[in-house]
Amino acid sequence: MKYLTFALAKGRLAKKTLRLLEQIGITCEEMKDEKTRKLIFVNEELGLKFFLSKASDVPTYVELGAADIGVVGKDTILEEGRKLYEVLDLNTGKCRMCVAGPASARQKLNDGSLIRVASKYPRIAKDYFYNVKHQTVEIIKLNGSVELAPIVGLSEVIVDIVETGSTLKENGLEVLEEICPLSARVVVNEVSMKMQHERINKLIHDLREVLPE
Amino acid sequence: MVKEDKGNELLHTPGGVRDIYGMACAQKLAVQSELQQMMHSYGFQDIQTPTFEYFDIFSKERGTASSNEMFKFFDRGNNTLVLRPDMTPSIARCVAKYCREEQMQIRFCYTAQTFVNTKQYKGKLQEVTQIGAELFHDDSSDADAEMVALTIECLLKSGLKEFQLEVGHADLFRGLVEEAGFSRSETEKLRELIESKNFFGVEDLLDQVTVSQGLKEIFLKLPDMLEDIPSGIAYIKERSGSDRVIKALERLEKLERILDLYGFMDYVTVDFSMLSHYSYYTGVIFRAYTYGNGEAIASGGRYDSLMGQFGNDAPAIGLVIVLDQLMIALERQQLLQDVPIGGTLLLYPKESRAKALAEAARLRAEGEVVQMLRKSSRISVEEYEEYAKRNGNERVLYITEE
Repeated sequence: MKYLTFALAKGRLAKKTLRLLEQIGITCEEMKDEKTRKLIFVNEELGLKFFLSKASDVPTYVELGAADIGVVGKDTILEEGRKLYEVLDLNTGKCRMCVAGPASARQKLNDGSLIRVASKYPRIAKDYFYNVKHQTVEIIKLNGSVELAPIVGLSEVIVDIVETGSTLKENGLEVLEEICPLSARVVVNEVSMKMQHERINKLIHDLREVLPE
Repeated sequence: MVKEDKGNELLHTPGGVRDIYGMACAQKLAVQSELQQMMHSYGFQDIQTPTFEYFDIFSKERGTASSNEMFKFFDRGNNTLVLRPDMTPSIARCVAKYCREEQMQIRFCYTAQTFVNTKQYKGKLQEVTQIGAELFHDDSSDADAEMVALTIECLLKSGLKEFQLEVGHADLFRGLVEEAGFSRSETEKLRELIESKNFFGVEDLLDQVTVSQGLKEIFLKLPDMLEDIPSGIAYIKERSGSDRVIKALERLEKLERILDLYGFMDYVTVDFSMLSHYSYYTGVIFRAYTYGNGEAIASGGRYDSLMGQFGNDAPAIGLVIVLDQLMIALERQQLLQDVPIGGTLLLYPKESRAKALAEAARLRAEGEVVQMLRKSSRISVEEYEEYAKRNGNERVLYITEE
């Protein structure tokens, strides 16, 4: 039997995913050991392999076939723009992709003026402003703490993930526009989907059964 | 003093293109020649077209690459030229131009480098060798089946053992969308969702638009109907009243029957949710996949309206095998055979030149590979023997005076 390889985005999502997999009888004891320094984990019995990677790399591993199945946030899928099958919404890790900034910036979003947008997600930001809003903007790519940008005057607004909005509020910012809802998705390599159709389909169906409504 | 690495900056190729040499090159050419022979044995004749052509030849309705994925440049008249992203439009142009009078089958096959300008650091090749065949003036389901069968025969001939060839029909989706009366933007959205097998997204979308229950059931069931063709066809026929859809289904049924005669149904699955990647496909479409490669290794389909765009209406169907992707799969599945390349190394001191030349001519006439090398007095025979080993020569022949 060929191995099925899972790429999981490091962090909370990976733990949640493993719990879900456990419910459908897929376990990986090795992975529960917090201190382990192993990179790849194997369940010989079921012919499965698992590895953790940075979220933004999961679509790459899956598109190029190094992993057959991946679990990753919709934000990453949109930003990476890889060719993948997106087969299941896990309905966890729910949040929204938003345009945020000080209340005073709202005006600038409506009158179509040229503004600066800071984001960790330049592709999503560009797609939204160019194709949905038809507003010309300058996009500035940042790698973290995006909320800082409007505070220190690097940009007028930001495009970022908003879960509860408390970080924004503490810094005098608010959600100005909502771009799209986000949640964790199961993605599958296109060739794996064909070559291991039965196994993967069963897995998706089983997962769908145990998903909380 | 700073030591200079002279010339080292000249050693690199741009991203996405590569050098192939030695054994890898020999293996690639060996597979290439097998595939070409296979196509010739089905009566296809060779064709070569220019590496670059006018941009319009490959524009949206005709091309396989989007405008920003083509390598573009300008000629002296300021016309936009592109490096061909694929061969089908070029061959269609040729047939429209040179074979206007012929109303019966025309068969062409080719081996060509094609170019796609993809983004950097995506791990994708920008130049690949494509081997393909195009069959014009035959709209029968026998032609459909023959092209699918030829694809399978080629893949088997290359040494591949485990692969899946999926067939679908371009009109299936088009007919269903037409029947449902979706707007252009809804259709695009639906296409995108089905393309990425995002069926919870499809469900959401169908909840937002007005569409009959029957069609909704079809759209949602599409991905699950793989494999079992008759029941899938029955399911759709019960729920759809579109002529276009029914015709597409009947075509798939015929295709299945003929492929069964070829004895190839083991390699074939029907995917009702398969969409045509290119807008020029009008009928049966297919794609082949195998382990060890995240991309399709072969694809093809019927394009009955493309020729009309070149002013010469004719039905046509084509197939293409992406040789570089096939080689990657063969290598990862450890199916590549070593190809003997070295032959005989004929070593001679300059005194026995005449004798050596005569011997080389005699061996070559017998069909042997002979590599001649004049022996330097500073290098020993043993060193030459070691070189021969590195070089892949099968034996060393040392010609001396006597």
